Amino acid sequence: MDFSPQFISSVSGESALPSNLRLPPNLIGVAPQKRASPSGSDLPVLRRCEADIPAHLAPAQTWLESLGSRDSEPLGVVDLHPDVFSVPLRLDILHAVEVWQRNFKRISHAKVKSRAEVSGGGRKPWNQKGSGRARHGSIRSPLWRGGGVAHGPRGPSSYYYMLPMKVRVQGLKIALTAKLAQDYLHIVDSLEIPTPDPHYLLDLVKHRQWGDSILIVDVGDEFPQNILKATEDMKTVNIIPAIGLNVHSMLKHESLVLTLEAVKFLEKKLLWHDVRYVPLYPFKLPYSDLP
Amino acid sequence: MSVFGGVFRQSSARLFSTGTCARTRMHAVPKLRELDRWTEKRGVFGVYDNIGILGDFKAHPKDLIRGPVWLRGFSGNELQRLIRKKRMVGGRMLTEDKHSLDKRISFLYRRFNRYGKHR
Repeated sequence: MDFSPQFISSVSGESALPSNLRLPPNLIGVAPQKRASPSGSDLPVLRRCEADIPAHLAPAQTWLESLGSRDSEPLGVVDLHPDVFSVPLRLDILHAVEVWQRNFKRISHAKVKSRAEVSGGGRKPWNQKGSGRARHGSIRSPLWRGGGVAHGPRGPSSYYYMLPMKVRVQGLKIALTAKLAQDYLHIVDSLEIPTPDPHYLLDLVKHRQWGDSILIVDVGDEFPQNILKATEDMKTVNIIPAIGLNVHSMLKHESLVLTLEAVKFLEKKLLWHDVRYVPLYPFKLPYSDLP
Repeated sequence: MSVFGGVFRQSSARLFSTGTCARTRMHAVPKLRELDRWTEKRGVFGVYDNIGILGDFKAHPKDLIRGPVWLRGFSGNELQRLIRKKRMVGGRMLTEDKHSLDKRISFLYRRFNRYGKHR
């Protein structure tokens, strides 16, 4: 059904549409072309999930791509565990985790002096009775100009709190599910690129319509030198180790690029919380059956 | 109902504005601050917040907090914060600051525990 507006010249005569109905010409509304679904393709499944999948669920599938050249075709299909990449999308949990990330680190240094801390104001300015003026006990009371503040912010204060561990884990799973569902998740075999030139990456991203901002995630301390150099000066393309993955970064960057090792690592870490026992003491202390 | 009428019938919405409602003058609206949403700090904000659950619990997110020693991974009302400050750094505070701290602690103790409905 075609919804294009009919541009009939109206009463004013100068422009077809009034100013509150006109769309700006540079509006970002071009939807990226949808890729074909990997379920009906001939390419082989290059990775199966290590953990057992419940019988009533089917693994989520997505393409395995390569960063080697700009025009390379997808190498194959990758299976993703449904309990990490197809969980029900609880936006309230996502919101709670995002707000937690913003606030738990926050320390506000706002402080104002109370009437006891402002210099001076120990003496009664004039006699209680006889002077005709209002009665006062000190020149630094909150009523006076230059006096202390009665109920102001007091000292560095912290907004620290912790959400339950399973809520934070579920937030990560929901964010990953959302990225996959909206076609913003890309799995890559490795982060090897031919040149350390940032233009190569920008060109690749633009050609494949990955989005404006990319978050690249890989496991381990060592990254290939080329991609490190390429992303060094780029603001919107960021590379982080898999330990640093978090909901805020996933929401801030439009697209998420995971390597196969990163997918394996995340699945292992996030699925463990579904089958673990309640901790008797914090997990940082040694347990005999935990690695 | 009128929304569906406007979608399915083309050009049935009014093509001119009559200007009767909301005669708000927009002459003094302050301009939005121009912020760079992709600075170094904003681009990598939040990284390592899940260092516990993804990093074998060797570190806790509260270890990431940068701030005064007595406030890292702690939250409380003013009296609790001041008592904690006194315990942790009271020994090395300057004399006047220590004096103000002690005065404030005794004032808050009396206020919370002796006056008002909640004592």
